[in-house]
Amino acid sequence: MMRKGRSSRGYGWLSPLLWLSLLLSACLGMEGLKGLFRLVEPDSQALIYDRADFIVLLGRHLLVVGVAALLAILLGVGAAVAVTRPGGRDFLPLVGQLASIGQTFPPVAVLALAVPVLGFGTLPIIVALLLYGLLPIVRNTLAGLEGIDPGVAEAARGMGMTGGQRLRQVELPLAAPVILAGIRTSVTINIATAAIGATVGASNLGDPIISGIVNGNTAHVLQGALLIGLLALSVDSLFARFQPASSS
Amino acid sequence: MRRDAVQPNIVLASLFLATLVAWLGLDAVSVAPNRIVPGQGVDVLGVAGWGGMAVSISPLLVALGLAWRPTPDRLRWSTGLVVLMLSALPVWLMVAAAFTVDPDMPQARMGIGGGVWMALFLLLLALIELRTRLTMPRARGWALLLVPLASLAACLSFGLEPLALRQEYQGRSEAFVSAIAEHLLLVGVAVCLSLLLGVGLAMAMRHWPRAQRVGFAILNFLQTIPSLALFGLLLAPLAWLSSRFDWLAAFGVSGIGWAPALLALIGYSLLPMVRNTYVALDEVDLDVIEAARGMGMSRGQVFRQVRLPLALPLILEGIRITTVQAIGLTAVAALIGAGGLGTFIFQGLGQAAMDMVLLGALPILAMALVADALLGALTDLLRPGGAT
Repeated sequence: MMRKGRSSRGYGWLSPLLWLSLLLSACLGMEGLKGLFRLVEPDSQALIYDRADFIVLLGRHLLVVGVAALLAILLGVGAAVAVTRPGGRDFLPLVGQLASIGQTFPPVAVLALAVPVLGFGTLPIIVALLLYGLLPIVRNTLAGLEGIDPGVAEAARGMGMTGGQRLRQVELPLAAPVILAGIRTSVTINIATAAIGATVGASNLGDPIISGIVNGNTAHVLQGALLIGLLALSVDSLFARFQPASSS
Repeated sequence: MRRDAVQPNIVLASLFLATLVAWLGLDAVSVAPNRIVPGQGVDVLGVAGWGGMAVSISPLLVALGLAWRPTPDRLRWSTGLVVLMLSALPVWLMVAAAFTVDPDMPQARMGIGGGVWMALFLLLLALIELRTRLTMPRARGWALLLVPLASLAACLSFGLEPLALRQEYQGRSEAFVSAIAEHLLLVGVAVCLSLLLGVGLAMAMRHWPRAQRVGFAILNFLQTIPSLALFGLLLAPLAWLSSRFDWLAAFGVSGIGWAPALLALIGYSLLPMVRNTYVALDEVDLDVIEAARGMGMSRGQVFRQVRLPLALPLILEGIRITTVQAIGLTAVAALIGAGGLGTFIFQGLGQAAMDMVLLGALPILAMALVADALLGALTDLLRPGGAT
C-alpha cells in the first residue's frame, strides 16, 4: 500500500486553523500588503481591488460552493443509496457508468454549456456546480457501499436489523471515509470552478483575477489568486482533519 | 429463459418516457433573424405539424413497447432503434431548417432547442444501458456511435446552412482549426513533459524514500490550488523573469501566454503521473522480480523487461487521467492568453454569443471523451498482453 504524503493525525487542528487565520487576515488586511503589490505594479493608481470588499467576495464564494455542495451531497448520497437498495438496483449500472463517464467532462465545459441553458448569474453557477459536484460523490458513495464485505451485511441481517437500520448503523458508517473523500474531491473542484464562474457574471473571489487580467493590473490578479489559493487550502485542510488516514 | 418470466426493463422504459416528454414539451429549435436577436423557440408541432409529430415519436413508442418484455432479441431491436433515432436527429434538424427558416433571409439562423439536446442525452443513456444489458464489448458500443456521426457529417455537408453553430464555425473556420491545434499542442507537450518528469520523480522517490513524503505533500498541495489562482500567481514571477533575462523573453516567455499555462499544466499533471508510476513500480510482485534475477537477468534487464512492462498499464492510466485533466485546464488557460478552444468560450461569454460558447465547449468535451476512450482502450489492450 502507498503511504500518503500528508497525514491528518500529526497536524490535528493546527493546519486548518493556520490556513483559515491566514485567509481571514489576508481578506481584512490586504491594505497591509500594499508594499508587496507596489513591486509588481509600480505606477498603478488602484493598487488594491476596491470594487467590493474581499470579505464580501469570500462570503459569496463560500455561499455558492456551500449551497451547491450541500445539495450535491444530499442528492448524490441519496441517489447512490437508492440504486443500491433492492427497489432501485435496476438503475445501478447506468448510474455507475454515468458517474464515471461524467467525470471526464471538463468542469469549464460544463459551466460553459450551462450558461446557454440557464443564463448568466449566480443561480446557473450553483446548478452547474451541483451537477458537476454530484459525480465524484455518487461514484465514491457507490464504491463505498459496494465495497462493504457481504459477510458484514449478512451478519447485520442475521441480527434482525431492518433495511433502514443496516443502512444507518452498518453500511453508511463503513462507507463514510470513501464518501468523505468523494465530497472532498467535489468541493475542491467546485471552489476552482466557481472562481471561473466570475466570467459568467457571478461575483466572487474570481472577480479580482478576471478584472485584473482584462485591465492588465497584475496586483488585482495576485490578490484574487492569493485569496482563492488560501480558501482552497483552508477547506482542504479541514477535510484532511476529519478524514481518517485513507486514500483520497 | 421462459418468456413470461421476463420483467419489464424499468430503466429503458423511464428513459424512453422521459425522452418522449422532453421531445414534446421542450422547444425543438429556436429561430432568430440574425446573430444579435435572441431566438424564438419552436416546438415539434410548430416544426412539422401533427403528422410530422406522429412520425417523429413512432420509433420512441415502439422502443417503449420493446422495453416492456425485454428478451435479448428485443433488446437488440431496441439498440437498432436507438441508433436509428440518434441518426435521425440531424435529419430532423434539416427538416426543421426547411420549415422554419425563411430562405430569403441569409442572416437567419437556427439554434438547437432543449428538446433535441435532451433527446440526444437520454438516447445516449439508453444506448449505454442497452450495451450493459447485452454485455456488448466496449469497442462495439463506440462503433455504434459511428452511424449517427456519419449521418451528422452527411447532413452538414448537404445542408443545415442556417444552423447557428455552423454559421459561427464558418465565420472563423481558420481560427477554429488553429485553436484546436494550439489546444492539442499545449496538452501534448504538457503531458509528454510531465510523463518524463513524473517517471523520473517516481524513480527518485523509490531511490530516496525520505524524499517521497515531502514530494507527495508538495504535489498534493499543488493539486489543491484552483487553476485560475495558479495561473494568476504565475503571472507576476514569469513577467519578472522575462524582464530580467532577455533570452527568456526572446524565447516567448512572459507573464501571459503559453509559458504560465504550460507550467501550471505540468504542475497539475505531476501528481496523477507520479502517483500512478510510483504505485505501479512498487506493486510489481517481489517473487516475479526474484524469479527474473534468478534467471540471471541484470538489474537493468529486470527493470526494462519485467518491471516496466508490468507497470505499464498503471502508468498509462496516469497518462489518461492527466490528459483528460489537461484538456479541461487548457480551456481555462485561454483566460491568460494561451489560446486554444477556451478562447471561443470566454469570447462567446463576453459577447453573450451562446453559439460561439458551444463552438468552444463541444469540441473540448469531445476531445476529453475521445482521449479517455482511446487511452482506456490502450490500457485494456496492454493489460492481458503485458503479463506474458
